[in-house]
Amino acid sequence: MNIALLLSIILLLISPNYSQSENIDFNSPTNIRLFADHLYCEEDYLRAIFEYNRLLEFEMNDTLVFKIGLCYSYMHDYLSSTYSFESIPRTSTFYNQSKIEWLKAILLLRDYSGFRLSYQNQFAVENNKYQNEGKKLFNFSYLFTDESLPSKEDFLSPFGLYEKGELSKFYNWKNDPPYKNSTIAGIMSAIIPGSGKVYVGDTSDGIVAFLVTGILVFLAYDNFQADHSTRAWIFTGLAALFYGGNIYGSIASAQIHNAKITFEFNESLNIYLQKNNYYSPTYDFCK
Amino acid sequence: MSKKIIIFFISFVMYPLLSFPQTDWIKWEKADFDYRKPNNYRHRDYSLDNDSSVSRYVVTATANIYWYFISDLDGDNCPFRPSCSAFFVESSKQTNIFQGTLMFFDRFTRDINIYKRHEHYPRVSDGYYYDPVSLYTLDENKIYYIPPSAIIEQ
Repeated sequence: MNIALLLSIILLLISPNYSQSENIDFNSPTNIRLFADHLYCEEDYLRAIFEYNRLLEFEMNDTLVFKIGLCYSYMHDYLSSTYSFESIPRTSTFYNQSKIEWLKAILLLRDYSGFRLSYQNQFAVENNKYQNEGKKLFNFSYLFTDESLPSKEDFLSPFGLYEKGELSKFYNWKNDPPYKNSTIAGIMSAIIPGSGKVYVGDTSDGIVAFLVTGILVFLAYDNFQADHSTRAWIFTGLAALFYGGNIYGSIASAQIHNAKITFEFNESLNIYLQKNNYYSPTYDFCK
Repeated sequence: MSKKIIIFFISFVMYPLLSFPQTDWIKWEKADFDYRKPNNYRHRDYSLDNDSSVSRYVVTATANIYWYFISDLDGDNCPFRPSCSAFFVESSKQTNIFQGTLMFFDRFTRDINIYKRHEHYPRVSDGYYYDPVSLYTLDENKIYYIPPSAIIEQ
């Protein structure tokens, strides 16, 4: 009797587990795909790539390969993304998109001469829906390097009327960047201490250098006049070191100023390209 | 007249230090104990073993004397990283004693200038201005510009 009661209690407790349990195959292709898409939309790209690759073991699918390429691109692993985009065949519906994404990835690898070769040998020779966008990226690549620019007309030709104004500014800047000449900065500081720094734009540093050198020179002169030769020579030595240090510093400041100008220019180019999504289309995989 | 100018000059040079005096009395107050390694922990290499040339030996010995007798007692007052003395040692190692000396005097002039530093230099995570030697060796390939808005992780 007691055993029967015990068994019925156990059965009563266990029965909800059985009745509510589901027999789901989490490793079925459909569920892997749902999970992978969920990860993709959650921007968990590394895990999404893993799941898409699992899915590719069941079936070869261009959309999956394209999405893997996009995942790598979003993760800034541009080299891996080029491999994915390259493997998409011409017959695929994503072929045109994969080519422009491939070109974008190569540009973002920052090997600009390699980018231009890839564009000329592989992108420009084909008839692609995004030919004009590719040409825009190609022209942009000149702005990132010190190579001679194409003519302004050529450079601006793929861009629309709205963009031409902005691009014209970039072009003019690249042709004549507002660099400072380090030799001039050094010579200026040699003539008037601190003036080289003022020329470079470091006005407060220039004023301080002028005051320090000026005061030390005066002290040296005044002590020589008063026949305090030891003190006078100490101040002379210090004045010479500050004077020499300032000439040196003016040259270095001009170099740093030029590096700053180049950095800011490249930053503004990157911001402009990001704003325009590198002229590649946007995708609605997460509707 | 000369004495007045000397006093003015010393005041001028000392002004940045006097503006940010070290408040030693704080350490005598009760404080919560923290086992974490402080961020601004200074790794100072006092050894002379690695200095093969005489000039490097002189530079390192000078810096050691300054650190041992003045800086370690006076406190961590230089607003830059590397500090001016460390900058002198590092610049002499990367270039030569002559160029290193010029770089040091340029750095010292910039150290005296307290105006708009935050617009010129990025900061390391514990608040000091980051001003590495590599920017000043006159080798353009070594210049890696970092904008002042950046925070450098140590």
